[in-house]
This record gives sequence, structure tokens and C-alpha cells, in this order.
Amino acid sequence: MLMVFSKLFSESITMIEVNNLHKSFIDKKDKNNTVKALDGLSFTAKDGEITGILGPNGAGKTTCLRTLYGLLCADEGFATIDGISVTEKPLAARAKLGIFPDKFGLYERLTAYEQIDYFASLHGLSGQTKKQAIAQVIEDLDLSDLAHRKTVGFSQGQRMKVTLAQALVHQPQNFVLDEPTRGLDVMSTRILRDYLAKFKAKGHCILFSSHVMQEVAALCDRVIIVANGKLAAQGTPQELCDLAGETNLEDAFVKLIGTDEGVAA
Amino acid sequence: MSHSSTVNSSMNLYLYQLKSLILKEYKEAFRDKRALIVALMMAFMAPVMIVLMSKITIEKLIDEPPIYVNFNGAEYAPKLMEYFADNNLLSLADVPEGDKAIWQQRNITVNIPIDYETDMAQGRPIKLYLQADFTDKAVGSPVRRINNAVRSYSLNIGYKRLLLRGVDVRLLNPITLVEQDTSKPDATFMLISIMLGIYLMLAAFMSGLSVAIDSSAGERERNVLEMLLCQPVSTLQIVLAKLISASTISILGIVLVLGLTSLSVGFVDLTKIGATFTLDISTSLTLLTLLLPICFFASACQLFVAFQTKSFKEAQSTVSILIGIPAFIPFVVSLMDDRPEWLNWLPVAGQSMIIENIFKGVEVNWLAFIATSVVTITITVVLVLALAKKLKSEKVVMALS
Repeated sequence: MLMVFSKLFSESITMIEVNNLHKSFIDKKDKNNTVKALDGLSFTAKDGEITGILGPNGAGKTTCLRTLYGLLCADEGFATIDGISVTEKPLAARAKLGIFPDKFGLYERLTAYEQIDYFASLHGLSGQTKKQAIAQVIEDLDLSDLAHRKTVGFSQGQRMKVTLAQALVHQPQNFVLDEPTRGLDVMSTRILRDYLAKFKAKGHCILFSSHVMQEVAALCDRVIIVANGKLAAQGTPQELCDLAGETNLEDAFVKLIGTDEGVAA
Repeated sequence: MSHSSTVNSSMNLYLYQLKSLILKEYKEAFRDKRALIVALMMAFMAPVMIVLMSKITIEKLIDEPPIYVNFNGAEYAPKLMEYFADNNLLSLADVPEGDKAIWQQRNITVNIPIDYETDMAQGRPIKLYLQADFTDKAVGSPVRRINNAVRSYSLNIGYKRLLLRGVDVRLLNPITLVEQDTSKPDATFMLISIMLGIYLMLAAFMSGLSVAIDSSAGERERNVLEMLLCQPVSTLQIVLAKLISASTISILGIVLVLGLTSLSVGFVDLTKIGATFTLDISTSLTLLTLLLPICFFASACQLFVAFQTKSFKEAQSTVSILIGIPAFIPFVVSLMDDRPEWLNWLPVAGQSMIIENIFKGVEVNWLAFIATSVVTITITVVLVLALAKKLKSEKVVMALS
């Protein structure tokens, strides 16, 4: 019920919008050596949906997401989060975001609890509310055994959980993950998937990038295929298969981006 | 944010975030025990060094090492021998076993004639003969000391003879050269205080060093900087938090140097060399106030450089070069004879001149004190703002991956 409701609701309000993004990285010494990372990319990610950005390595996924966090400044076009322009009000936009970045590390001299507490505080949570929020996220992610240990020596799966917890402790309306399943085993991937599904059910907007087909097929309501900094195709996994006339998403993907380069990666 | 009470006014939020950032930096800085100990090593070494240096120099100045002379005819001049003994000029017969070979080889001989006593009684000139290999450098100092001893003993007797005859001894000294030492108390003492001054500067720069590198280049290397830059905090807050954390350690270093030095100086009797080296509370506080801006300045410089390097290793080597500044500038300044006025204003140079004056016992020039502090703080603020701006730039973001 809730899902149906939020889907209906989100038809009118777009939560994350990327519009006609252009971004080039110019080599100052050699003007010909310019990399066009984004070439007019546009898409939207809605509340109560999991939107997947699928693309080969170097397609511009990370650049796009970094533009969304306001770390990079687009040459052209704009990105908004809940209607807030990322370039004009980066701090206000980020306050609406939970971010699982491309490279995630942990403060190894802090305990897991302290890390989550730290990010909760940066989002302005304090006092009893903060305590409750941390307790909740620790319970949700089954982190209680690890919570008061220093994070040095944590496994990749445990690190993922802590990063997830610190990104979500403030219950952001929008959640962006940059290739979160990299280096995770099946069990950790399942935990992540279950958690994202729960989050979606609560009506949050989830955007995540990946190049793992099965994951995208299993998890995403909508898929955005990015190639060479442009939108190559978008739709539900089934729609994409139909569009390409293929039965599985992988073949559809290869057909849609027009090359098999990078798929093996 | 549906079920989270946010901190209300934006100013409060800003300060709350800053507090959280600082708290986390402190946690990381103080938990890295090994780095912290290495950083504060400097502070612990200062008093040890000062005590050792003072002890050695005092011994050198006070002790006239014994000289063993082969006296021929010592029995003819017992009073003279007593005078020699008072001046640590001893008979070769008394030489300890260990030094025997050296003094026998030097073979400094003083011959006292048989008729010393009768000649002395009758007021006739007496000739003592000093024999030694004068080309031997090791003999130079003993010969000088024997010479001085004989001359002053001789003068003493001469003066007494004149006095007995009712002659004013001052007639013998129509001209007297009075030497006035303008180097304040004592050269050795000055050396110690200059060392302490350089040491304080170094402590300001070195104590916070590891924390500054670790919280900038180190965080980037550990992939935690990107996460932080994505948070709803401004880069200025981030830079301020890291600056405060690093400079706290550096202030701690200075407090330790000052505290331990003033404690340990009590164990050395510096009055023996005519120095009145007291590092009392008010001097310590003045020095601390003077060095506070330097602590922030040092950390800001280090953060500024470390954030722009490509790796932790590069940061370590580049920032280490910065250490040259506090060691080199006071040294150069102390060597300069004609110091240009603007030197008073520069960070590090200005402070080191004031430190020098404090140790010399010269009245502190409070105008220079304030001027150099203001200039130092201004440069620090500029560095912080520039760094906050730089952290927003794409170059820094691109260096993340």
C-alpha cells in the first residue's frame, strides 16, 4: 500500500533531478587532452523508487554523483535535490542527502558508534534525538556487537555497514550510493539490498550507481543507462530488455550502449 | 527530517557542527599515542638539553683543570708553592696514575734557584725559569696560567713593598683599561637562552606537525576526506577544526617546554657563571602569549601545504621543509648586526627578537609585541581562508581518487 501511495505521490514531485549536465576535465598543458566526462546528461530519481545508474567504467557515473554532492561544478546544466539547487545552496542540498561515496574509509581511531555519532552531529542532530537515531540505525543494521569497537581491522562488510549507518543516521529523504557493493560478499550485499528495500518502502528516494547487472536487475525500479557522459536509455529493467529486444539485462545493456567495451569490468 | 530535532538557529548549528568537528579531531589526535609522544618528545628534550649544556659550560668556566708541573727546588719557596697550589698548579709528583704519561710527556719544568729565600728577603730580583716545548699547543694554556700566577704573586709582593715605604700603589697604574661587557649577563648564558628561544620556536612548529599532516593528507589517503566534504558543513568549518586541533597540540608542546625548563633550571646553579636565569611565571606567560599566534600560524602553514600534496609521503617530506623556517630565521636574525625595522613585524623573526630581548632582560617592546602578533594572526587568517577556498576547488576533489 505504502509503495503504491508513494509512487502515486512522487509522480508530481521530483526528488533528485539532473538536467543537461556537461562537464569536461581540461588538461592545462595539452588542450587536446580534454576528457568529456558528462555530455548533456539528464535524468530524475523519484521518491519511493530505487533508481540505478548503470554504465561501463568511465561512463561518468562518479562524476555525475560528485556533481550531485556539489563537489564538482558542472560546466553547463544543473542538479537539484528536493528542488534545491546544488550549486547555489550546496549545504542545504547536502542536508537532504545521505551519501555513500565512491571511496569510503573509516576513522580507524574512532569506534563505530563515535563515527555514526560524528556524522549525526554534522547533520545537526543532538541530545536525545541523536541518541535515539543512532540506536535505531545500529539496531537496523545489526551493528550492536561492533558499535563500541574501534574500526581498525573491520572486514569490508563491516565497513560497509558502518558507512551505511553514518550515511543514513539522520534519515535523509534522498540517498545516493556510488557503487556500494564493490568488494562485498553475498551476505553483505544481501544486508545492503534488504536495507535499501526497507528504505524505499518508507518513501525515500534512492539513487545508486553500479556496473553489476544482477544487482541492478534485482533491486532497481528504474534503470538509467549512461554511456560516454550521455543518457543512453532509461526505463524499468523489463522495458530496457524490450527496447533492445533481448531477454536479459546484460545483453540489453551491451546493445544499448552500442559497444561491449567495459562490460567485462 | 521528520523525526529529528535539528539545532535551531543557523548560528547555533554552525557552532554545534564546529564543536563536533573539533571533538572528533581531538579524539583522533589524542588517541594516536605514538605520534603524540614523538611530537612532544621535543618538549621533553628541551629541559634535559638545557641542564646538560649549562652543567658542561659551568664546569668549563669554573674549573681550572689541574696542571702538573715539574718543580725543581720547590723546597726553597714554600709560600710560592702554596700560591701555585691555590691556583691548581700542582707538583708532577702528585699526578694521578691515569694522567701520568701525558704530563710527563709535556714535561713543563719550573726551576726555582737555591738563593730564592735570601734574595727575596733582601729584595733582589729573582729569576724563575720555565721550560717547556712552546710549540706544543697543549702546553700553551698551562704556560699562560703559570705566567699569570707568577706575575700576580710577584705584583702582590711588589705592592706590599711599596706600601711599606709609604708609596701609593696607584702610581703604578697611571692608565687602567676598564672592560665593559655589553653582551648582557654572560656569553654562555646568552647561548643557552638563544637555544631556548630557537627551541620554543621549533616546539611550536614541530609539536603539531604530525597531527596537521595526519588530519589532512592522511585523511585523504585513508579515503575519509571525500565523505567529510560531502557533509552539510562548510570547508571553513573543516579547516578551522583541523587548525584548532593541530595548534592545540603545538600549544601543549610549548607549555611543556616552558614548564619543564623552569622546573629543571632550578637544579642548575647558574649564578656560578654570573647568570640570573629565572623562568618565572610572568616570563613564561609572556612567552606563551607571544608564541600563541605562532602555534596557529605554524599549523595553518602545515595544513595549507599538506592539503596540496598528492600523497601522505609527499606531505611529510614537504612539510618537514617548513621546519627549516623556525630554526633558520632566529639564527639568521641573531647573526644580523643591522636589523631592518620591518623584521620586527614578520612572523617568527619578530617573535624571536622579542624572545631574545626577554632573555637579555631588556624591557619588552609591547608595540612590537602587538604588531608582530597582529601580522602573524592576519597571515594565519589569510591562509585559513585560502585553504577553505581551495578545498572547494575541483583540483582537491580530483586528487581524492
